[in-house]
Amino acid sequence: MSNRIFLPLVIALALAVPFFTANTYFHHLMVLWMLFSLLALSLNVIIGYIGELSFGHAAFFGIGAYTAAIVGMNFGLAGIPGLLLAAVMAGLFGFVIGYVSLRIVGPQFAILTLGFGSIIYTITNYWVDLTRGPMGISNIQPLGLWGEGGVALTGARGYYYLTLFLVIAFAYACHALLNSRTGRAFIATRENAPLAASLGIDVFRIKLLGFVVATAVAGVAGAVYAHYLTVITPDVMSLQYVAALIIMVIVGGRGTIAGPIIGALIYVVLLELLRALGPLRLVIFAALLTASVIFLPGGIVSLWRRLTGEETKPREAAE
Amino acid sequence: MLEISDIVVRYGRREVIHNLSLTVAEGEAVTLVGSNGAGKTTTLKTISGMLRPVSGTITFDGQRIDRMEPHDIIALGVVQVPEGRLLFPDMTVYEHIELGASRARSGGLSFSERVDWVHQLFPILLERRDQKAGTMSGGQQQMLAIARGLMANPRCLMLDEPSLGLAPILVDLLEDTIRSLNETGMTVLLVEQRVDLALRLARRGYVLETGKVVLEDSAASLLSDPRVKTAYLGI
Repeated sequence: MSNRIFLPLVIALALAVPFFTANTYFHHLMVLWMLFSLLALSLNVIIGYIGELSFGHAAFFGIGAYTAAIVGMNFGLAGIPGLLLAAVMAGLFGFVIGYVSLRIVGPQFAILTLGFGSIIYTITNYWVDLTRGPMGISNIQPLGLWGEGGVALTGARGYYYLTLFLVIAFAYACHALLNSRTGRAFIATRENAPLAASLGIDVFRIKLLGFVVATAVAGVAGAVYAHYLTVITPDVMSLQYVAALIIMVIVGGRGTIAGPIIGALIYVVLLELLRALGPLRLVIFAALLTASVIFLPGGIVSLWRRLTGEETKPREAAE
Repeated sequence: MLEISDIVVRYGRREVIHNLSLTVAEGEAVTLVGSNGAGKTTTLKTISGMLRPVSGTITFDGQRIDRMEPHDIIALGVVQVPEGRLLFPDMTVYEHIELGASRARSGGLSFSERVDWVHQLFPILLERRDQKAGTMSGGQQQMLAIARGLMANPRCLMLDEPSLGLAPILVDLLEDTIRSLNETGMTVLLVEQRVDLALRLARRGYVLETGKVVLEDSAASLLSDPRVKTAYLGI
């Protein structure tokens, strides 16, 4: 099936889904799916395009969530300004942390991001005056257009459409980026950084650009999350979320656009299906990650390519 | 145009280039010859900014480039075509051509004019435009690597072992291409293990041994030099 028919179909289906059921629990799961999709897509920029593993991504999600919550609480700006500020804040932290860490590659980079993530988590946990510490912030206003009053977004269905819009917009941006010259610089950097540098690509700048975009988008996701759940605690930055995001990207298929979205779906569905198992779920997720790395290194989306035989078909034949 | 004086290059603690100096004048074709490990590739990498000399200077058009980043050096028009092609196997031919223009020197031909130009030089690249680079033959890959380098709009083109692993007929084609590039005014710095080929193409040559220049002369006299003959030409 060609993408030209397939994509509008998927989008139409995504738009129609909330009307199939009035079950708000189901709507809630859809919102979570879209939020995780947005997050996984942003982490995918780091893992899939820059080619580095970041253990600090949940921290940027948290920064966005806390920025939106605090700005909404203290200045009554629980709307688009809050979202933008969350993006700027997370992106700013991303810039500083990326500026320090991106000169280092491989496991050392991953460890550095883990360290920065823990620092941000710890500060959030202990800076009680600003963040209310482990109690978290509750009663966050619903998302309005421009601060308090006016139209406010309530109910899962509304948030579903908002997050769906954000996911489609960001997925499209990723797609456009990958097919641009800057996008090819990303791929060249991932595939062979010294070679990319020798061709005149400023490897560090490309990596920093990707990192800042990824962290800013994670910040937006965090802000929407905060307004949606109306409660946040420092736990949103915990390692559990970091692991979940990495599982979504790897199991779904890094470096692709459908992959992280499918990975997020698998995560959300499994999380609900296995709720009865309690903490044992985490073992299952870990097993899933292990199995995926061994048997499906390209992620779930590579199955599709394997089935349709696209992988082995030379490009010439397509003409 | 390109002046290297007294550079020392180390890999870690190990010094591999010892006080090497060489010059390349504008429009000239110069070759570095020498056996494995003589420091030819290291010299090219140092010029293109991939390695930094510990001491000594490199100037291009009077401007010091030995402390500059690779992308800034390319923007000045000093472009290296790496040894062993080094393409991205999953990228298409045309994507490589675009990639070569990432930090092209401004001036001269426009991007689309340069695309036409490299397609004229290597028509096979137009034919294979959408093919993945990894699926092409060695000769086609070498042409693509050179085309990618040319897309950066170089004034000084540095070629590292372009004949490596190529069929004789392709080596001839390559020789013609490099010669015609040089004849249209492009400065060429050629590193080549095939000393006969290198000295046919170049006007002057440097012989490198263990990181030092041991001999420097016109190509013609190097060709007839008994030391070069016995050591590199096997006659």
